[in-house]
Amino acid sequence: MDSLIAASARALAAGDALGALKRVALRDDPPALALRGIAMAQLGEHPRARELLRHAARGFGAHEELARARCIVAEAEVALAMRDLGGSPRALIAAAVTLEARDDLANALQARLIAARRLLLLGRLDEAAAALSLLDGHSLPPSLAAVAELASAELALRSLRTGTARAALTRAHDAALRARVPALLAEVAEARAALERPAARRIAADGEQALRLDEVEALLASDALVVDACRRGVGGGDTWRSLARRPVLFSLARALAAAWPGDVDRDALIADAFRTRDPDETHRARLRVEIGRLRALVKPMARIEATPQGFILTPHDARPIVVLAPPIDGDQASLVALLSDGAAWSTSALALALGASQRTVQRALVELEAQRRVRAIGQTRARRWLAPPLAGFTTILLLPAALPIE
Amino acid sequence: MSSSNNSQSRKAAGKDRFEGAVQAAEIVREYGPFEGVERIHGVTHDGHQVWAATGGQLVAFDPASGEATRRIDVACDAGTAFDGTCFYQIVEARIDKIDATTGKVLASIPAPGNGSDSGLTWAEGSLWVGEYRDRKIHQIDPATGAIRRTIESNRFVTGVTWVDGELWHGTWESDQSDIRRIDPANGDVIARLEMPNGVGVSGLESDGAGLFYAGDGRASKVRAVRRPKAATA
Repeated sequence: MDSLIAASARALAAGDALGALKRVALRDDPPALALRGIAMAQLGEHPRARELLRHAARGFGAHEELARARCIVAEAEVALAMRDLGGSPRALIAAAVTLEARDDLANALQARLIAARRLLLLGRLDEAAAALSLLDGHSLPPSLAAVAELASAELALRSLRTGTARAALTRAHDAALRARVPALLAEVAEARAALERPAARRIAADGEQALRLDEVEALLASDALVVDACRRGVGGGDTWRSLARRPVLFSLARALAAAWPGDVDRDALIADAFRTRDPDETHRARLRVEIGRLRALVKPMARIEATPQGFILTPHDARPIVVLAPPIDGDQASLVALLSDGAAWSTSALALALGASQRTVQRALVELEAQRRVRAIGQTRARRWLAPPLAGFTTILLLPAALPIE
Repeated sequence: MSSSNNSQSRKAAGKDRFEGAVQAAEIVREYGPFEGVERIHGVTHDGHQVWAATGGQLVAFDPASGEATRRIDVACDAGTAFDGTCFYQIVEARIDKIDATTGKVLASIPAPGNGSDSGLTWAEGSLWVGEYRDRKIHQIDPATGAIRRTIESNRFVTGVTWVDGELWHGTWESDQSDIRRIDPANGDVIARLEMPNGVGVSGLESDGAGLFYAGDGRASKVRAVRRPKAATA
């Protein structure tokens, strides 16, 4: 590399992005463009950084494949920070293959990690898990190790394995300490704090109680019959019945569980499930049908019996019944609770699960989006909604270890 | 238009002009890694010790023992040279003249490539400066920086050195490097020593006898490479 590029890279390595930029600001050769792009990214000018990195990648000659691949990885990292997930990951994977072939293992692993984080952000959890498992067994540089552990923690949290998540966060903390990146340490601390916050409420006959995530996990693993208003389903032990797409059955289950060990009056059930205060015989007939369906679904866990006034839910084996609700009440809280599974939901699926109109859900989503508590990917009919990452790791830029300028 | 014609005619003539006699570089010894050094940008030789420009420090080592012997804190981003009493050092877009005993910067001249400069050597009253991606070597006046003449290469130029009337320069493009002797009159390649794949040359100096010292820009290493005796034109 030449002298101004070396001086600029030296400034960048010392954390002086402006100094790096100053030295190559007027140059348009590919190494200078790459350095300018990386400096811009560190200054938070993501769109401009992307443009410069693209331009740099195009400028490198056919024999400078390595430099080109590093630019592509840097650009993908910036795109991730911008939450621009629209593009195809093909170039990134091709860059990873090139870097592997050229023995630049650290940057190759970084490319793979970016691909995994992208899948995680897209709510494609199984694919993300598969992509992350590709990194197992490699010794990653500390900063990459920290990000990889954060991603594993996120995956574990999404499937409510808090023990696994806690262990991953401990490893992320150690790696962040070794990497000496303060922003990374802060993100690990934030993710760990999230584990200590109330994640749900336990509503039982004896009152209400706030639960942390690990307490939720323990509750779901216990033999209690849980009517889960966060994920919309009924579970007990190893059995889980999702009612996310069956709002009437879910509201019946919730009403019956809330009244346990008592029964619930027919008219109350009809008012709750069918949203009417004016029940007639057709509603009573429909109630019988719906109760029949619910009875079949919960059969492994509990019985539903008719009483003179209505119906009663009786668990098998004298297990207790608990209602698990979002930490606060309201449509917005319910939406956030639903999205916390990390999967991508359409507006119509959310509306169906909540038993609300699409219009209501849309309004709530817009408000939540303004507060950055949900995010959208895709446009118009293809738009999907996701919870923001539990760990905010994706805002951190970890551009390729060796600058793409040699 | 004319530049594309030029490059085409150069390509056509490339085979004979830029090939030369090729052989694999014989690496005699590796020095380093050196403590606190991540990259080596330039190399020179003061008759006893080898000096490496490492970004913020000139680091000297004894070629016999390989031990680091002295460090001078100066900015050093690319090629370095020694004229018998002073160092010349490329820093950003200038060349600093540095007192070898005190480490003080005595004077500065503009670098001919305006910051795109890489290799540097001192010979016969001139400084010879490589211009990296522009694939050129400039002969300049060490007092003013005025360009006396320019030689063109066909590869990215890193280190430059003179020994026994032979002009040699290091090249580095992506994963491939060589050390090549060129005809100072017209830039024709006379001989090439190919470095192993993935080993870069970021600085070059001869010891005035049978060895070259070549810095590896990506690593904290300097390699001693044997100068072929039969490499005469």
